[in-house]
Amino acid sequence: MTNSVRLSGVAGSPGIAIGPVWRFDVTPSTGAAPGGGLVGTGSPEAVIRAAATETARQLEALGDRLRGLGRDAEAAIFDAQGLMATDPMLLDDAVRRAADSGDPVEAVRLAASSVAEMLAALDDEILSARAADVRDVGARIGRVLRGEVLHLPVVPSIAVAEDLPPSVTAEIPPGFLLGIALSGGSRTAHAVILARSLGIPAIVGVDGLLGAVDGAGPPASAAVAIAMDGETGEVVVRPSHRLEAEFRRREADLAIRRADASRLRDRPAATADGERVMLVANIGTPADSGRALAAGAEGVGLFRTEFLFMSRQTPPTENEQMEAYRRVLEAFGPERPVVIRLADIGGDKAIPYLRLAAEQNPFLGVRAIRLAYANPDLLLTQLRAIWRAGAAAGVVPHVMAPMVATAADLDLLLSLRDQARETLVGKSLPAAERMVTGIMVEVPSAAFLAPELARRIDFFSIGTNDLTQYVLAADRGNAALAGLQDALHPAVLRAIAGVVAGADAAGIPVAVCGELAGDPLGALVLVGLGVDELSADAGSLDGVRAALARATRPQLDELAARALAAPDAETVRELAAAVLGGVTG
Amino acid sequence: MRTDEMEIRNPSGLHARPAALFVKSASGFVASIRLENLTTGSAAVDAKSILGVMSSGAARGHRIRVTADGTDEEAALDTIRELVATGIGEEVDG
Repeated sequence: MTNSVRLSGVAGSPGIAIGPVWRFDVTPSTGAAPGGGLVGTGSPEAVIRAAATETARQLEALGDRLRGLGRDAEAAIFDAQGLMATDPMLLDDAVRRAADSGDPVEAVRLAASSVAEMLAALDDEILSARAADVRDVGARIGRVLRGEVLHLPVVPSIAVAEDLPPSVTAEIPPGFLLGIALSGGSRTAHAVILARSLGIPAIVGVDGLLGAVDGAGPPASAAVAIAMDGETGEVVVRPSHRLEAEFRRREADLAIRRADASRLRDRPAATADGERVMLVANIGTPADSGRALAAGAEGVGLFRTEFLFMSRQTPPTENEQMEAYRRVLEAFGPERPVVIRLADIGGDKAIPYLRLAAEQNPFLGVRAIRLAYANPDLLLTQLRAIWRAGAAAGVVPHVMAPMVATAADLDLLLSLRDQARETLVGKSLPAAERMVTGIMVEVPSAAFLAPELARRIDFFSIGTNDLTQYVLAADRGNAALAGLQDALHPAVLRAIAGVVAGADAAGIPVAVCGELAGDPLGALVLVGLGVDELSADAGSLDGVRAALARATRPQLDELAARALAAPDAETVRELAAAVLGGVTG
Repeated sequence: MRTDEMEIRNPSGLHARPAALFVKSASGFVASIRLENLTTGSAAVDAKSILGVMSSGAARGHRIRVTADGTDEEAALDTIRELVATGIGEEVDG
């Protein structure tokens, strides 16, 4: 019996997990002899087809096993992947590429990647998820070609690795993953996002983790147990009975807290001393409405409309858009406002019918409202559809424009809005009486111009993801800059504080609809800074409501003041965590 | 060669699971079978390719055209018509 090893890392996703280790290593399994793969055993075409057939067999077996466990929905994913593995579209392309390059492994990877990009470009939410499935299939065929063996967990386990690539996390049936502990990675790592969506704990950046786990015996040993707390970032390798009991107690506490959170759902969100905070949901399609309402959303702070524009060869008609908006407006009714965001497209998203020029730097390019200078019809049609949907549903529609950077952008928005209504009135079509109009604050210039912009509109909604990227000049997708992608950085918080001050002077409310609003600690800081409304994915609302209920306005004021003066995001997070910890004692 | 047009009625369209069923069904015939999404005007794809079928982006309410060419083309079209009409393994409401 070896001693417990206590380690700590960066909290990625909350929750407690206790269980055996599933050790993932990128190096080929020692069980596979060097050159044990199919590469070199035949022509590139022959080895690709053989590896594809073997991969399909593995995926079908995985599907069968899950079906045997009664998990039909998950099994269906592997069935579809099995078909993809031998799909003519994928294989013919891979074979053609291999004939040119002579490298079957790279050919399969490129072919899978090209199909995945095509699916992602359709950019309907369901199909983008399938893009990851295709890449995953490509990675699997590659492993068969190279003779690498990936032993998936056979019992529910905690994944331990330096980092978990998407192709691997996607292969683990969700029920077999209790938690994720990484020695590398960042808070924005794919594995962390996956963990949050599965509701399992994740901890990243755990120094000494691999040594403590591997030191105990052969890698991939399922015998080593781990206890982890995704809120504190603590990891205990081979916990003693006493430590295991402590983590079981924390697990029970957490279950109670989560039950409290769901009980709070029936009540409006408020601080412990009774100050109301408007808690609303982000939705991506009309089908998300039910989930948002069930989670207790008081409305929608961000209704993304891109789903209407992607995945097709011609722009959506005014009628088609009107129907989609009306459905959502009716689902939420007059008491629960729905903020429709005008299409945030262009730049990095391929929209065939717009024939947009390719840009070197799409995030700094002709995107969203900027498109409307040369191409106003897209927004005019959308605005007419919204005016009509408001009339049809009998509510005042709320609208906001993304990427507004200057007063000229706002001039354009307001004139298009009014022009859209005039057109309808001219044709004697029903239009809402008025439209509550706001802008997204995600470009730093808009934050600087907040006092002037605020006087001309009804509300601000801060998009913290893009604002963070632009304030810190750090590409959201660049893992090497993970440390700069934290919306709790005091520089971002100062920008938010400036927006709130500008809004207050003009008497308009400020919402936040970025990921920060759905993070309980982030929510405390935002409300402390004077934000009136938080909009987050439905799954985050319970946690935010529970956090708010445990803090008072004076505590939040003090938290905001200290956060603005803090040296870095980590310090801000600790300050916010102390507010939560302090209340429960 | 035979061809027919039909409307996708199941909630999730020809995504993932329904696409897999569609492809499995089409693959049971020797006839070559092509699928076009008339609503989006996408190019014809191989109905025996799940990636092709998914890339047609056929959602609920879209009209598709299926063309079968081969000895069992008539049976192939009958089977696919029936599959689409009954919701491709999903509940069809309204």
